[in-house]
Amino acid sequence: MSGRAAAAGTLAAGCGTAEGQPPGKVAVFGDSAAWSAPMAAAGAAMKSVAGLRLVPEVNPSLESFEQVVKSSLRTNKAPDMLKYWSGYRLRDLARTGGVADLSRQWDAAVARGWADRSLREAFTYRGRVYGLPMNLAYWVFFYNPEVFAEHGVQPPRTWGDFLAVADRLQRNKVTPLHGTADGRWPSFIWFQEILSRQDPRFYDDLMNGREKYTDPRAERALRTLASFFDKDWFTPMDMNHTDAAAAVVHGKVGMLPCGTWLGSTLMEAGGKPGKNVGAFVLPMAEPNARPSVIFESSALVATVKGPDHAEALRATRNWLHPAVMRAFSQALQDGCPNPEVPAANPVVAALAEKVRGDRLWLLNRFWEQGPPELVEATVDDLAGFLLNPSSYREVLRTMQDRADEAWKVWREAERT
Amino acid sequence: MTEIAAPAPAEAKAHRVRRRVPTRTPHQAVRPGARLGGPAAALPWVLPAFAFVGVLLVYPFFRSVYGSFFEDNGFTSSFTGIDNYTRLADDPIFGRSLLNTLMWVAGTLLLPVLLGLLIAVATHRPRFGGLARMLIVLPFALSPAATAVLWNFMLTSDGAVNQVLRGIGLDSWAHTWLLEWPQNTLSLIVAGTWQATGLNVVLFAIGLRAIPRDTVEAAELDGATGWRMFRHITLPQLRAVTVVVVGMAVVNSLKAFDMIWILTQGGPSRSSETLALTMYRETFRLFHVGYGSAIALVLSVIVVASSWLYLRRQMPDTGWAKS
Repeated sequence: MSGRAAAAGTLAAGCGTAEGQPPGKVAVFGDSAAWSAPMAAAGAAMKSVAGLRLVPEVNPSLESFEQVVKSSLRTNKAPDMLKYWSGYRLRDLARTGGVADLSRQWDAAVARGWADRSLREAFTYRGRVYGLPMNLAYWVFFYNPEVFAEHGVQPPRTWGDFLAVADRLQRNKVTPLHGTADGRWPSFIWFQEILSRQDPRFYDDLMNGREKYTDPRAERALRTLASFFDKDWFTPMDMNHTDAAAAVVHGKVGMLPCGTWLGSTLMEAGGKPGKNVGAFVLPMAEPNARPSVIFESSALVATVKGPDHAEALRATRNWLHPAVMRAFSQALQDGCPNPEVPAANPVVAALAEKVRGDRLWLLNRFWEQGPPELVEATVDDLAGFLLNPSSYREVLRTMQDRADEAWKVWREAERT
Repeated sequence: MTEIAAPAPAEAKAHRVRRRVPTRTPHQAVRPGARLGGPAAALPWVLPAFAFVGVLLVYPFFRSVYGSFFEDNGFTSSFTGIDNYTRLADDPIFGRSLLNTLMWVAGTLLLPVLLGLLIAVATHRPRFGGLARMLIVLPFALSPAATAVLWNFMLTSDGAVNQVLRGIGLDSWAHTWLLEWPQNTLSLIVAGTWQATGLNVVLFAIGLRAIPRDTVEAAELDGATGWRMFRHITLPQLRAVTVVVVGMAVVNSLKAFDMIWILTQGGPSRSSETLALTMYRETFRLFHVGYGSAIALVLSVIVVASSWLYLRRQMPDTGWAKS
């Protein structure tokens, strides 16, 4: 496929020169309106670097976005480029043969020091790279330093500290933790955070179908969570992230686990980084385990059948260029996959420094791990657990039944 | 007046022309297959409508039926016979979804229809009845999506309803309205009622106005008032409107989607899904296209069968009974 793509690239570049066409525009189709401005900023930078303008196109409904992508990929109505998920969702897309192999672009970027080598796995299918990282969000706990100071607590450094902080906040009438099933997908957050802190190796194996949900280690994670429920540490499970962000800023909720991309929502709620918004990586519950952090990175994908395929490929060659990345990540206020580009947001910059300095193991998010159809179903199971924590054994059994089925289908498809 | 009178001479003239040139008998003129006026002559005029219905309704329907016999992930498909249908029988989510759909039907008949009738009757005569009616009809003018956002603000755990309940000391009445079954489905039905009642009020009000005044006066002379008037005069006279209102309510409740989608997305843990949502989730979120088609067919059969049976029973003197 790479040969075909390269040939198409040469052909179109030739046509462009021969006909003396003005520099083109390439549309990037995504599901987030919040990414429009950053994408436009990256587009402007790309124009000076590669003579191409990136034009954001947004379908803000997650459902219809995915529907449009999957149904148009085999037609000549496919969007040129996509903002997609990494991990198994990207693999699912790559399996259709509808997206371009970007291995050369990746290798070139790594050779220039434009990309974090450890992210490769999240963007590969059968050893080839099919997407380039766009952002690099870490999954952290947001808190309000002023509120912490008021109640005499510090961001926790150990698991014991974390429990003590939650307990202190609870006694001081601040709801210690935000948890939610609102919007379905957030139901995985707590399972992911606790499991990856208790046993990151097991988390990685479970997410890749090498371990079972019925394992005592998965049970321990849910039992830990159930104990938090018993202590009444959580917000109501229908509090969405926007309200939770405001609640943290106003001192009503103590700690809010989310990707660093929530930073912009916290700013909108009146938060100021360093003043009343801070973030920490949840300490390891098991001190002997390899220190880890969950990351999330969206993938820039070029489709095979998009009308401006050649220009799309040219854009991928320049996507990780520091000028483009700087423009993009500064506008997004999130972490950057290009290590040469510092984060504009001081909170994210400090986190990036800690992650790189402490050499934390980067684990991909639950949502991107495992066959997408399994994840879509297990988030509903986890929502069931959040609403009835004593049902953890039954929930894990259901999840394992689904996993058996979904992995079987996935592996069969891999073989064909 | 002039508008009505104008066509008359032309008509008279046409009659005269036909009488003056008796080239063939009138019998031949209406014979099928003649140059004009035969059933085949109507075909070109009906074709566009047939084409629309065929392309947009009949073909997709049969395509879905066909698709329901396949395991299809949107990219590859394999024939599995009636597997999708046997899976339905074992699927607890489908069972819950069917139950929720039935709750929606029962709830919609009980609340918006009954309330609509009561409000229409109560506001029929009084002086400010029109104003009261208008206020109740207003929510109907809002889009279901906007209504859902509004009710989300009301029904979340920290929402307006619970805040009011806690504010007046009824803490024990405060619930997690959208998080647990069956109260999430019931809350959604109440939210749906708030919006749907308005239309029913309008329809019943029209029906009330159509009741002949002399019938009412005759009943009044016979001493009928209050409940007896309602039971023996108003209600029977509203029968035609009631058939329409109930028929529409049944179909709309079976199709319930937007309100649920925005308020709970069918969750948590798929507990508030109706058949329409389950179909959507299976087809477009999980890409079980064949399974989704099977659910769509079950839903279609329920909608068509219930409407047909109901109308056949309620309107025996129309074409419904003969078809």
